[in-house]
Amino acid sequence: MKCLETERLISYAYHLTDELAASQVRAHLGECSRCREIVEQHGRLGALLDEWKATEPTPWFDARVRQAVGASQARRKPGGFWGREWARGLALASLGVLIIAGMHWFTQVHPWASKPSGIATRQPQQVRDPRTTAQTAELRSPIVVPRAGLKPVPAVPGFKSADASSNEDNDAQALEDYDLAANFDLLSELPKGEPRVAN
Amino acid sequence: MRPPQLLNDRSVLYNVATMAIESDLDLMLRVRDGDVASFEVLLRRYRLPLVSYFRRMVRDQGLAEDLAQEVFLRVYKSRERYQPEARFTTWLYRIATNLALNAIRDRRDEVSGTVGDDSDGGSILELFVDPQPTVEQRLMQGDRERVIRHAVEALPENQRAAVILHKYQEVDYRQIAGILSVSESAVKSLLFRAYETLRVRLEPLLREGQI
Repeated sequence: MKCLETERLISYAYHLTDELAASQVRAHLGECSRCREIVEQHGRLGALLDEWKATEPTPWFDARVRQAVGASQARRKPGGFWGREWARGLALASLGVLIIAGMHWFTQVHPWASKPSGIATRQPQQVRDPRTTAQTAELRSPIVVPRAGLKPVPAVPGFKSADASSNEDNDAQALEDYDLAANFDLLSELPKGEPRVAN
Repeated sequence: MRPPQLLNDRSVLYNVATMAIESDLDLMLRVRDGDVASFEVLLRRYRLPLVSYFRRMVRDQGLAEDLAQEVFLRVYKSRERYQPEARFTTWLYRIATNLALNAIRDRRDEVSGTVGDDSDGGSILELFVDPQPTVEQRLMQGDRERVIRHAVEALPENQRAAVILHKYQEVDYRQIAGILSVSESAVKSLLFRAYETLRVRLEPLLREGQI
């Protein structure tokens, strides 16, 4: 009698076959002692392997797992609203808007903060001042009332107070120069020969 | 009813007792919905199987517990993505097997740096399980369990995982195919070669058992 392949015998011994194949092997084993010996050896091997017992976890194993799970939960929820990405982005955007609005408000309340520096205001006077000393003296009068929609430029009293610091003096001078330059620009737009009215 | 949120709550212990008969799938679906008590049941149900599995795969008890803890942590972290497409144990042991095989490879790399190259997966251990003299010597010491352990540990990684899952964890070979991501016929082949190798290596013990 021809013996079965070892693979089929082992598959039968460890229940890896379907019922049809198992019944065929069973029929063969009834007639073949050699194949029966192999199957019996594997049956004993199964019992031998059972001698390698399972290992109990240490008593603190469960506590360790719970602690690890708890720590992962804590990392995942650092604190409601602030733990979310979109919330942090929204907060930063709001802060940016507040800063811009604050700067805008500040420049409205303090217009001098947005005006150019004294160095910049002097440049137009130096370059574009073709007027005579007499014209300049006329413009230094308290109020100049032009006809064609020109606004009077009042003199700024108290800019050069005796107790002001040198920086304040410089700023006042710069503002005055700026007003003069502006008036020159406006006057140059007037038609020639038209009389100017002054109080 | 809103599930309890604290593991050591008395009501949780009550729930754990009543949920002990529920299926893994139902429990895992509850864990997905945020029920910590169901996770506690899964922990109690699989703590021994997982630690034993790792203990047999990597030998070291401390490392086995670290890896088992990592499995539970991964299960908990990925609870929201859990899809009940496969059996829970297939998913659980797939995570466990990947961790175990990585740990074995890491340790082998460490050993190969000091002892020498080990390209055959467990061949270093094989040095210690030369069947005849070593087994007889160890039988004299009355340490049958150690001989069995060394014989299993000397198997190549995939064979070792397949045998331990099949023999000790009582996982069906179809499930083992899912765990190892191989075909069912490949699992049968792995098991066939592994059991036959073990039969040859442990023959002295088998003969002794016959007497």
